[in-house]
Amino acid sequence: MKVDKSIRDWLLDVQKAKRITLEGNILKLLEADEDDEAFSKYIKDALEKDKEARRRRLDVTKQVQEQNKNLLASQEENERMNEELKAALNIAEEEKIKAEAAKAEAVIAKDAALNDLDIAQKRSQFELIGTIVRVALYVIIGVGFTTTAMYIVAIVTKSDTQIIGSTWSNMFGILLTNAFSIVGTIMGVKYASEKKE
Amino acid sequence: MIDSILLVDDESLFHLVFEDACSLLDISLTLEAINSSDHAVKLFEGWQKDSDGRPECVFVDLNIIGSSYDGIELIRKITFEYGNNVVIGIISSSNEPEEQARAQKAGAQFWIIKSDDIEPRLEDFKKDFDGYKSKSLPFKIYK
Repeated sequence: MKVDKSIRDWLLDVQKAKRITLEGNILKLLEADEDDEAFSKYIKDALEKDKEARRRRLDVTKQVQEQNKNLLASQEENERMNEELKAALNIAEEEKIKAEAAKAEAVIAKDAALNDLDIAQKRSQFELIGTIVRVALYVIIGVGFTTTAMYIVAIVTKSDTQIIGSTWSNMFGILLTNAFSIVGTIMGVKYASEKKE
Repeated sequence: MIDSILLVDDESLFHLVFEDACSLLDISLTLEAINSSDHAVKLFEGWQKDSDGRPECVFVDLNIIGSSYDGIELIRKITFEYGNNVVIGIISSSNEPEEQARAQKAGAQFWIIKSDDIEPRLEDFKKDFDGYKSKSLPFKIYK
């Protein structure tokens, strides 16, 4: 496309005075006369300038595009890590709840074990007391039988029964009193043992 | 040189890259870039009645975010519904053979892989353009 002389002159004047040239694809349509070196140079320079500007803009745009891509990748990576962290936190929370439940169960088991131990200790104590009381009762009954037997032998052999009679009487009184006391103790121990179980 | 190109891509930055690359490579004098397939459909509906301003070649992104149709569906609509006989293809960063087969079935004539260094691919495309225009070239992928 050829332009008329007035436009050509104006374009050259603007370039000379203000260093402004045409830009864009319109330059690709412009043609200069074969002998018009000045306008040919104008078109060539303007095209070079336009290409240089576009090349710079293309480089900058590509850089921005690359940065955007990296930012997006970082954002996706951050989101992925956040998701992983959330998942890890949820797992930790669940583990914490499980650990607390296990701790509560362990505390209950410990209390039960201590209780069982306490009962076992008390039972063995009561059993010991029971054994002592039983042995004491046998001793008392044995002494009672022995004294009574000696008194009967004294009566049958018509020996002097004054001393053995009063002894037997005192002994029997004491034994009866103690026997009731011991029976009472046995009953108490038995009652206490049954209640604990 | 291609008379006019229409680019349908949701990435505004790529509009600038594509425009500058096309200008530097003397691919086209006129380039219109739009960011939705709905807009493209409206334009082609208008060009069905009046072909004035209709582009000679259309580059469509595969995934156009915020649009009713993806790139392949848009190509299918342009090829089979609006029948404007334009040279049309996909420009995308994707290199999925299944998608490429779908695009070809929908009427795409080429598939250009979008990357940082797009200029060599556009240069190759420029050389092949007449073949696409005359429908003598088969579907081609520019990697």
